[in-house]
Amino acid sequence: MTLGTPRGVGLVTRQEFRIRLRTGRWRWLLGAWVLVLAAFTMLLDLSLDTGYGIDRNTAQRGVPLFGILMFFVLFMVLVISPALTSQVINGDRERGTLATLQVTRLRPLEIALGKLVAGWGVGLVALALTLPFAGWAMASGGITIGRVAAVYGVVAVLIGVVCAVSQALSALLARSITSALLSYLVVAALTVGTLIAFALITPLVTSPRTTPNPDGSTYTYDEVRPDLTWWLIAPNPFVVLADSAPRVPPRVTAFGDEVYVQDYDPLSSIGRAVRDLRRPRDYVYTSENERELGPAVWPYGLAFNVLLGVGAVWVTALRLRTPARRIPRGVRIA
Amino acid sequence: MQATQTSERTELGVTVNDVWRHFGTVPALSGVTLSAPPGQVTALVGPNGAGKTTLLLILATLLTPDRGDVRVAGLDPRRDADGVRSHMGWMPDAFGVYDQLTVREYLGFFGDAYRLKRGDLAGRVDELLMLIHLTEYGYQPVHVLSRGQKQRLALARALIHRPQVLLLDEPASGLDPRSRVELRDILRGLAAEGAAVLVSSHILTELEEIADRVVFVAGGRTVGEHTMANLTREARTAYRVRATDSAALAAALAERGVAATANGNGGHGAGVELPPMSEEEAADLLAALVGAGVRVVAFEPLGSQLESIYLTMTEERR
Repeated sequence: MTLGTPRGVGLVTRQEFRIRLRTGRWRWLLGAWVLVLAAFTMLLDLSLDTGYGIDRNTAQRGVPLFGILMFFVLFMVLVISPALTSQVINGDRERGTLATLQVTRLRPLEIALGKLVAGWGVGLVALALTLPFAGWAMASGGITIGRVAAVYGVVAVLIGVVCAVSQALSALLARSITSALLSYLVVAALTVGTLIAFALITPLVTSPRTTPNPDGSTYTYDEVRPDLTWWLIAPNPFVVLADSAPRVPPRVTAFGDEVYVQDYDPLSSIGRAVRDLRRPRDYVYTSENERELGPAVWPYGLAFNVLLGVGAVWVTALRLRTPARRIPRGVRIA
Repeated sequence: MQATQTSERTELGVTVNDVWRHFGTVPALSGVTLSAPPGQVTALVGPNGAGKTTLLLILATLLTPDRGDVRVAGLDPRRDADGVRSHMGWMPDAFGVYDQLTVREYLGFFGDAYRLKRGDLAGRVDELLMLIHLTEYGYQPVHVLSRGQKQRLALARALIHRPQVLLLDEPASGLDPRSRVELRDILRGLAAEGAAVLVSSHILTELEEIADRVVFVAGGRTVGEHTMANLTREARTAYRVRATDSAALAAALAERGVAATANGNGGHGAGVELPPMSEEEAADLLAALVGAGVRVVAFEPLGSQLESIYLTMTEERR
């Protein structure tokens, strides 16, 4: 028994796309989407001038523009992604179109992947529509195409993860309202929940540390150990996005003897903050290693999210497998 | 080799042996046994909740039985669901269609999903549209179709891959009289081509005309499996008789000890109702009445034989 073929996946994807395209008011929705992003980018651009003192002559002006814009884009796609797939399976059940699909020769994994690709595809179209604004940031200086590609790649993967989890919930739960609600709760857990968990658990994880006093006696206190709890915020999509973004070299300005190291990049500053958490306990600051950071956090966060997505597809396929032994409560097979 | 396997399967149709299934604590099937041989239309008859739909879901590879043996086109749906699916067409009682697609796109999609060859598909869709009289709707979106037309479209969907076993759950509900006659002809035609057709329905007069065999189920078990020919011979139905002179008719009936009752609303032309009797008894009585000089203008069975058997059966159940 094979798991499926690209042909089967493609068939389901085309079918889903065709149906989605003919039901929604896409032109209006996507138009509104672009308008919101355009307004945001324009206001951001203006406010950088007056509010943050980064005027049009500042070199690398695109760096803060791009960073803040990408946080907003990530926020927006996290808001729309659950809506793309959180009703695809139980909605089909409610409409009575799932069972007729299951009795064809399409495999469960083909149905699961085909539907996911269609939902994800819509999310990617929305993401692609934000590219002109990233282009605006590039034109403002300091952003390379490689940086844009890396950041967009990570956002694209995160959209897929949220779509996959939402779809799995729609396969697990009988009512489409419940699965939609739970999908949003999952996004909330990933974004806000990880922060809360980190903030509440980190103070509880301490170990005693003894330091010598000037008079030769020693002094012992409980030291918090973020190097043991950093992984709690690793799955956070914003952390993954920020830490995975290639670093922009900080701007160094010299006024006579004084050297200012300025970093306007919100992505890098969050990235540095989370890497600091991973610095070993006995790390000693010196002037040479000041800018050295702890090891990267994003590979763990991204891996966690990708595993979550793959697991979700697997769960969906399992739930679509027939003949079914157990029927969940309230689910009508046909 | 392949050819012999296929022809062997064609011989097999559907067999169900002592199949059980429960949902939670509610038993749905408690030992159903039946067969639907190829080349025949088998009717599945029973009251609501008898387990008809559950049984059809098991045969359609959507549900596993708790125990018991099931063979569809000679294959076990639990072992080889994909094999069963390539030989089996299923039309559920409640179903949705993709409203946004055109009729041709709808059938084309399912043709692809059943892995029909590209070259074969367009011709097959034409053929089916002709069969279900929707050719002129081919390029219309599905949502413009009436309920009965959608029902026919669903039948075409179930037939797209030329299945040897056809499972239909209440296919006639929502169909107008003309479409019912056409459905009957389609099903008879498929059976004539060697398909095993299993139909569940509540419209018993309808089944009487379609079916070769009838299986009664009640409370999740088989309570009777008959050929229609035997049933018609043995069934006892009430009759209605009317003569030009109702007084003479009443006298002749009284003489033969037949307990006639005035028909329902008692109008002059309504005649009288006779108690249930077999076809032979009815023929004897008619001959006797005519012989006695009663001018009989109507002598007809009331309702269908299937219906009276069904009613007796469900009566016993109470």
